Amino acid sequence: MALRRQSVILGALLAPVTLFLGVFFVLPLLIIAVFSFLTPGLYGGVEWAFYHWNYGRIFGWADGIIELYEPIYLRILLRSLTFAALTVIVTLILCYPVAFWVSRLPDRWRLAFLFLITLPFFSSLIVRLYAWLLILKPTGLFNSVLLKLGLIGQPLEILYTPTAVVLGMVYVMIPFMFLPLYASVDNLDRAQVEASLDLGANRVQTFVKVVVPQTLPGILGGAVIVFIPSVGNFIVPDVLGGAKGLMVGNLVEQQFLSSRNWPFGSALSMIIMAVVLTVLLIAVARARKGSGNA
Amino acid sequence: MRNPWGWIALTGFSLLFFAFIYAPLLVIIGYSFNANPVNMMIWEGFTLDWYAGLFGLSDRATGVGNRAAYIESTDQMLAALRTSLTVAVFTTTISTVIGTATAIALARYRFRGRGFYNGFLMLPMMMPDIVLGIGLLIFFVTLGMQLSLVTIIIGHCTFLTSYVFIIVQARIAGLDPALEEASADLGASEWTTLRKVLLPQLAPGIMGGALLAFVISMDDLVITYFISGVGDTTLPVFIFGMIRRGVKPEINAIATLIILASVIIAALGLWLRSRKTD
Repeated sequence: MALRRQSVILGALLAPVTLFLGVFFVLPLLIIAVFSFLTPGLYGGVEWAFYHWNYGRIFGWADGIIELYEPIYLRILLRSLTFAALTVIVTLILCYPVAFWVSRLPDRWRLAFLFLITLPFFSSLIVRLYAWLLILKPTGLFNSVLLKLGLIGQPLEILYTPTAVVLGMVYVMIPFMFLPLYASVDNLDRAQVEASLDLGANRVQTFVKVVVPQTLPGILGGAVIVFIPSVGNFIVPDVLGGAKGLMVGNLVEQQFLSSRNWPFGSALSMIIMAVVLTVLLIAVARARKGSGNA
Repeated sequence: MRNPWGWIALTGFSLLFFAFIYAPLLVIIGYSFNANPVNMMIWEGFTLDWYAGLFGLSDRATGVGNRAAYIESTDQMLAALRTSLTVAVFTTTISTVIGTATAIALARYRFRGRGFYNGFLMLPMMMPDIVLGIGLLIFFVTLGMQLSLVTIIIGHCTFLTSYVFIIVQARIAGLDPALEEASADLGASEWTTLRKVLLPQLAPGIMGGALLAFVISMDDLVITYFISGVGDTTLPVFIFGMIRRGVKPEINAIATLIILASVIIAALGLWLRSRKTD
């Protein structure tokens, strides 16, 4: 009796999420997969016929003409991976020392600074990017200040370059790197650090052999949740990137909203999805292995 | 720290880090009061014109000096704000109900497929916005569904349910199951225990999840961008469009108001979290 009631309530609790995500999450992803193998129609539509050259095009062979190898899309894809990796590295370098600093502050200050880290997360993404647009413009704050100080003779061109894109992504991703990193750093066993130093290891050795391995879960966690939204990002390169900072996300957007080649856009999205799932699977496998060893 | 200089250097670096995070926001706030309409980076005195202009109260126009264009964009902006609020209220309600139900199911029942659900619910959060956005676009168009407020709300719920789930699940993990066991031992039905014992204890977690869902829904740009109908622009999509068309001082004023609103909401969230409820 009790068991049956339990299963009725359990069913009622699980049914909404199962139905909702089944229809509006799983089906849309499956439809992308289907569309990525359809033939692009002449005027922006699709023909329901199998076509694998959407993928061929990504890797450099447009529409089945093997002789014309032009890996322009592959280059943009590699650029996106590079930008995302750079974003991970820069956020890590910026956040690691600060996480240490915050974890050693007295309680009240620590909570205040943690609040300050999470606050931008609550404020609008587009507003924060817009701020950088103002700062980096040729007539913007950054150049004005440098010109006034006489450090440069003419405005530096930072806006609409890869530097601006990576800077923008670093800026919006900082909280995502900081929080997992902080959780790890805060759990660091200080006695082990002291022991390592007392036993004659120098600071660098202690850092590499004691501190880094202990905070590795935070580093990897932060890296994954910064890398994933960075790869497919199209807002940051759209606002700050220009033609030289174009990423795969911009390509997808163009296929859907201006070129109207939905099958090709779907194929590009499948590649983004494949990258994301690969990264996630590696992260999960590592986490499993890590907890198995401990 | 054994070495005081090391600590001083670390403190200096950290303070610079926080300056880096906050300087851009302060730049916008400062320049939203700058009277210079042509180059908004050159200070020309204090003005509230751009704020007045946002609400159609100022004759002063940027660049070409076209008052009609202003009022039109004021109306559009307020309409976008209304759309954003409507979407956020519905999204928050739906995703909070579904997310909470899911969290209770996974925390309080043992069943086959529990591990699957735990992993599966991470996917909507990890899926890049653009993939989910175009997936929903193709889905709605293929089904012949008109893009509208409803499609935006559906889109937001697909990933916000997971956020609510995570927050509520964390709250359940911190609860003492003995209270519910006591309730069951004293003869309360499973449903009564759930409603009268578990739910009240979860209230802060549910509020926290709802608040997070509301904030993210208000701020979502990418998914909304793909699945909003022609007439249903949300505030972030509206601002994105404005920025794409060119930078105007009014954007500084909107941006400042948004920053202000988010500080208030974040403070509210902090207060909710720190409040002792049990």
